[in-house]
Formats: sequence, C-alpha cells, structure tokens
Amino acid sequence: MPEPILRIENVSKRYGKKEVLRGASLTVNKGDLKILIGPSGAGKSTLLQCINFLVRPDEGRIWLEEKEVHYAHKRDLYAYRQKVGMIFQDFNLFDHLTALENVRIGMVKVKGMAKAQAGERAVAELERVGLKEHTQKYPAQLSGGQKQRVSIARALAMDPKVMLLDEPTSALDPELIGEVLAVIRDLGENGMTMIMATHQIAFAGSLASEIIFMEDGRISERGTPEKILFQAENARTREFCAKIAEFYGEKR
Amino acid sequence: MPEGLIAIADALPYLLQGSVVTVIVVFGAMGLGLILGVPLAVGQVYGRPALRRAIGVYVWFFRGIPLLVLLFLFYFGLCTALDVNLSAFTVAIIVLGLISSAYQSQIFRGAILSLPEGQLKAARALGMSDFKAISFIVLPQALRLAIPGWSNEYSIILKDSAVTYALGVAEIMARAHFVATRTYQQLPLYFTAGVIFLILTWMGTRGLRVLEEKVRIPGYSQHGA
Repeated sequence: MPEPILRIENVSKRYGKKEVLRGASLTVNKGDLKILIGPSGAGKSTLLQCINFLVRPDEGRIWLEEKEVHYAHKRDLYAYRQKVGMIFQDFNLFDHLTALENVRIGMVKVKGMAKAQAGERAVAELERVGLKEHTQKYPAQLSGGQKQRVSIARALAMDPKVMLLDEPTSALDPELIGEVLAVIRDLGENGMTMIMATHQIAFAGSLASEIIFMEDGRISERGTPEKILFQAENARTREFCAKIAEFYGEKR
Repeated sequence: MPEGLIAIADALPYLLQGSVVTVIVVFGAMGLGLILGVPLAVGQVYGRPALRRAIGVYVWFFRGIPLLVLLFLFYFGLCTALDVNLSAFTVAIIVLGLISSAYQSQIFRGAILSLPEGQLKAARALGMSDFKAISFIVLPQALRLAIPGWSNEYSIILKDSAVTYALGVAEIMARAHFVATRTYQQLPLYFTAGVIFLILTWMGTRGLRVLEEKVRIPGYSQHGA
C-alpha cells in the first residue's frame, strides 16, 4: 500500500508576465525517487524551490504527511522546512563554518539540540557520506564532490521526511560526479524519499520510481524509466532523452 | 630650533592626555556606529520598502550635513531646546557615532550584498527564521568582509574627531591650539599634533589588519597572497 508523504497540487509561479510554472501536481510516496528531467528553463528548479517555499508559489497547495502546509504562518513554514531537506546545485555550504559546523548548526540553532550531542550526530552523518577525515575543513578546502556530500550530510542531520535535490551533480567535474551519485543511491536504497532534478539519465534509469518530463513550466509526460526513456509518447520527450543520453555519453 | 623642541617636550604630556580623550571619543563613536550601523544595514537590505526608505533618509541626513554643523546643531541647538545637560564630550561621541552609523551601514550593506544569495537560501531551507539566518550565517561572513571598509572609517573618524575642538572637547587639537596660542610655538605644536594623529592612524589600521588576518576563513583565496 503506497503511503503518500508529499502531495503537491496545481503549483504555479509567474515572474511578471512570464509563467515559469503552470499548475504542477505531484504525489510522492514513501521511499519514492522521483526524477525531474527537461530542458533548462523548463521549471524544474522553480518547482523544487516552490516545494519548500524558497520561491513563493502564486497558486497551489502542498501537503506533508496529509497535513496541509500553511506557509503564511512562519512557525508552520519553519517547521515544515526542517522536514524537507534541500540540496542545491552549487552546494551553498556556509563558507565561514567547518564541515562539522555546517552539519551541526541546523540541529543546534533550529532544533535546539545541545552542541555536544549535535556534534556527535554531525560526525556520524559526515562518516555516512565518507568524510570522516574532513570534519574540520572549511568549504574552501574541500573539492566540489566533498562539498556536495557535506551538504547532503547537513540535510540528513535534520531527519528530513523528503529530500529535494536540484541538479546535485551539475556543478561538478566529471570525475567527482560518481562519489555524489553513490551517496544518493545509498540514500535511496535506505528508503529515503527524494525528488531530484538531474541530467544523469543512466542514474535516473536505474533508480527512479518515476521520471517526470517538464517543459515550458508544465509536467508534460511522466512514467516509469522504461516508458520515458525508451517508449515516450511525446516526441519532445524522446528527442530530449536521446540528446542528453548522447551528450552524457551513455549507452541505451 | 631648540626652542621648538623644548616647546614640544613641555607640551607633550599635555597633548598625550588629549590623545586619550581622542581615542575614547573615536572608540565610543565607532562602537555606537557599529551598534546602530549593523541593524540599519540589515533593515536596508531585508526590510520592507517603508523601512528601507526611512533608513535611506537617515543615511542621507547624517552623510549630507557637515560635521561642524551637526555638532553645533546638537550641542547648542538641540541640547538647549530640549533642556538636556550633556557635556561637549558626550555630544561629540553621539554626533560622531550617528554619522559613523550612516557610513558604517553602507559598509555593511555592501558586504551583505556581496555574499552569494545561496547562503540565505540554504539557511532558510534548514528551517531557520530570517533573524537566525541573518545572525548566524549572513552577519558572521559580512562582518569579516567589512573590516577593510571599517579600517577606512576608523581613519576618517579619527581625523574628524579633531573638529570637536570647536565644542571645547579637550582632545589633541584643542590642547595643541591652547598651548600654541599661548607660547607662539605654532609650528612645533601643530606638527606634533599631526604626528600623534599619524601614529594613532597607523596603530588602528594595523590592528584591524591583524584582526582581518586572524578571522580570515581558512582556504579562502586572498588577493596578492
């Protein structure tokens, strides 16, 4: 029996006259890995940022665990964001804090945990993403792949119900992509519910519970990886999948 | 000119007492400017439009009126009109502090704006309120970036503090003037006053340079290093 964790209904966003997101709806069940694909400017990033209200949607409603999010109430909004982990394309680690402090600060300042206890948890999360040796380093002393893994540890430390990943490997050098994907794969295998925008088609094909193709601010096609990658109904979807598969040098 | 040297030697302890007054005025003003300047900057960057406009007017007011006019306005004007009895020394710190808060707010505003937007986004995504995000994420980074601008502000206030002699604050300039007009040793005395200011400028900017190095974030690349 699928257990819905996150439900998004009819979310829209305009910037001036430009509609960047037109009525996106999505139901995410526990343990799902939903992959968003589509050309740049399709609204993938806006959708992800609308889900945790980093971008205020103009319309639409969102439910987490069957409870509607009243984002105009600050208390509700802050409580909700704690449960929704966010991974950014360009990491956004806090530059003045060490890896350990980056992971610890949310637990201490938002959840009110004691520093020592939060520190232990932070070390455990950094170990989990393979950064045991780097806890005392500052972001500027880490590689891109390491930074992204710290940011994943930072999100995990908050015990999120859902994770949103906005092209987590797009800013990385090719040889560093694998280490980050391995961590994400691991999360998926351990039952983490995730929505991820990515161009890593092979990764999407092997792990996604559903692939969602977006263009012009709309969800234009969705289905199993087999369907979207090999038998898409929409010509645009087929064309796009063929192109990125070619660009990323992946066999189909 | 042994006469001149004797005049300097005689006046030096008296002038150095004045430098203590100068230092207290400058530190007081810098401190007041910091306490007011940080919230002003935060308000101007993140506040509602009405608040931003109000801060804009405040900054315009204190940057737009000459120091001497403000000193007279507050000391002879406002203090009399409101019937409050403040010493010239106190008024000097308040006026220099208010002016400095206007300038410092712009130093901090520039520093805040130079941070990537993602820092605030990441903090919000963790569930931080804007107040927490600004206090724990934005300001610790912005204040570091503000140190070079702050060093500039220090040297300006230090020199501006000499104008408070017009209210009778017994700082370096007032004392140099007092002795010079009585002994007719203008050249050596004003020269000495200038040298004391140079030394104070050097000490302050040097100290801030050391602070800048001390709080530098490891691994961050530095120009020219």
